[in-house]
Amino acid sequence: MWWYIGRRALQAIPVVLGATLLIYAMVFLQPGDPIKALFGEKPVNETIRASIAAQYNLDDPFLIQWLKYLGNALTGDFGLTYAQQPVSQVIGDAFPVTLKLAVMALIIESVLGVAAGFYAGLRKGKLFDSTMLIVSLLVIAVPIFVFGFLMQLIFGVKLGWAPITVGGDASIKNLMLPAIVLGLVSFAYILRLTRTSVVENLTADHVRTARAKGLSDRSVNSRHVLRNSMIPVVTYLGADLGTLMAGAIVTEGIFNVPGIGNLAFRAINRGEGSTVVSIVTLMVLIYVVMSLVVDLLYAWLDPRIRYA
Amino acid sequence: MPETTPLPGQERFLAPLDETPLQETGALDTSSPPESQWKEAWKELRRNWLFWVSGAMILLVAVVVIAPGLFTNLDPSYADLSKSLDPGSSGHIAGYDKQGYDVFARMIYGARASVLVGVLTTILIVVVGLITGAVAGFYGGWVDSVISRIADIFFAIPLLLGALVGLSVINNLFPDRGEFGGIVAVVIALGVFGWPQITRITRGQVLQVKNMEFIDAARAIGATKRSNLLRHVIPNSLPPVIVTATVSLGILIVAEATLSFLGIGLPPGVVSWGNDINAAQNQIRSGQRIGVMFWPAGALAFTALGFILLGDAVSDALNPKRRTE
Repeated sequence: MWWYIGRRALQAIPVVLGATLLIYAMVFLQPGDPIKALFGEKPVNETIRASIAAQYNLDDPFLIQWLKYLGNALTGDFGLTYAQQPVSQVIGDAFPVTLKLAVMALIIESVLGVAAGFYAGLRKGKLFDSTMLIVSLLVIAVPIFVFGFLMQLIFGVKLGWAPITVGGDASIKNLMLPAIVLGLVSFAYILRLTRTSVVENLTADHVRTARAKGLSDRSVNSRHVLRNSMIPVVTYLGADLGTLMAGAIVTEGIFNVPGIGNLAFRAINRGEGSTVVSIVTLMVLIYVVMSLVVDLLYAWLDPRIRYA
Repeated sequence: MPETTPLPGQERFLAPLDETPLQETGALDTSSPPESQWKEAWKELRRNWLFWVSGAMILLVAVVVIAPGLFTNLDPSYADLSKSLDPGSSGHIAGYDKQGYDVFARMIYGARASVLVGVLTTILIVVVGLITGAVAGFYGGWVDSVISRIADIFFAIPLLLGALVGLSVINNLFPDRGEFGGIVAVVIALGVFGWPQITRITRGQVLQVKNMEFIDAARAIGATKRSNLLRHVIPNSLPPVIVTATVSLGILIVAEATLSFLGIGLPPGVVSWGNDINAAQNQIRSGQRIGVMFWPAGALAFTALGFILLGDAVSDALNPKRRTE
């Protein structure tokens, strides 16, 4: 088990390094003189140029720049924003907000998606099933920001049940509406996944055996059908935390949530390389860790899988 | 055969021959080759109403893309500012947007850019994903390790975030890239972070197919490794790739709209659903005219739905276990 975790962690290193190199190259390996661009129309002051070049290691070859960035990152120094704030501090302020938002979305979507998908699968072809299939297809096909605006208009502006924008106070209550919007698409996918595997499992041999030995419907459905249907859902949820945090770019923009998505969007528009690279690295780390967690959960859900 | 009465407990129950799946070998029709899985899938598909509905939806969108003039004789880039946010009159069923453009005409002409992005990106990711996935799965060894790790790197970066960074880079490098250049930029940005999904599916499928008996049979009758890969392994690995590609087409159209909504997708001059939805933000925020966003967003959802439903239908037809996912 620990051996397996160690090996997986080693395998993840080239992925994380490669991803940072890729984004670093995209952001910093562009023609043009970034320092000259900072001065705009004014003549370049050579002393300031030298100090900026030293600060961002601009006089080094590209790969050395990247290695120096990595080295600093390992000590917790992710560079400075254009406003001379440490990137680690800016991200440290925004990250908990987005994490809270994404985890809320993850809980909402998985509880509702599994419940609706499970019930739809048990009643395949009935009214509830057909309704849920149509709802899930619509949710996937309509862009998420359309739902965002509609819900903001209905629940925020017209009914006044939720704040229209979140702003500085990112409490659970205020984040409720953005979390529902953020989790909508994944809710649809989880519903479809759960339904499909419930329908498949209902006719599986082990379920027939369980029924044949006289277990009640209730215990067959919960212990044999539902548990086995969770395997594809767990895979999906593992990859989803990262997707949700990236998808937060749209949701946080609509509801003005002071999180990573908002930060990333502004940094990309301003060309603030160090912030962009750090955020992407963070997302990749989350993805890598979550995939490992999913693999370990597999073994718990499906006893046939053992890691040595 | 003389009937003998068996001892109690030793009766043998034999099913009549016509109820068993066994047949005399002479009864098998070997005069024509068995139907290919594609022919069978096509037969299956024709029986599915979902296929006809989604096919009709996609056909309608295709006609709009090819001949927008059939649906409106208005100019999508003609604006009459005095009609700003006018709810519309006869001949203008969708009314006007903030700038005084005809919303319906823009919906019709906006199809081209949005669908083009979806189709071109899908072609790009399928070509790249199929080649890399097939090579990795078929040859294995260090080739597989290298391809899989590179795919992991691109897969680990969320599509939306990666595409945003990619587009901002392209914006810097080619600020004036025109309408088609703008479409190509979005295609590249989405494609660069989209191919690993197809690679992973293809690789997994090739790994399964290459160990099947008919591949051994082909090798036994003298097929070379390369012809085995091209003529047997790849065609038999295609079904899940086709399903994923069809569904991705719909999802990529939505992704393009999201990028345009964030103001970084297609250049502002291009008539596209994403740009129109982006422009309609303020009207829906202030509750002035929801219709301005309804038409382009509705057209977008209709198109995406068409491809997602088609993906479902194809998935049912190609998969004997009939799973819809």
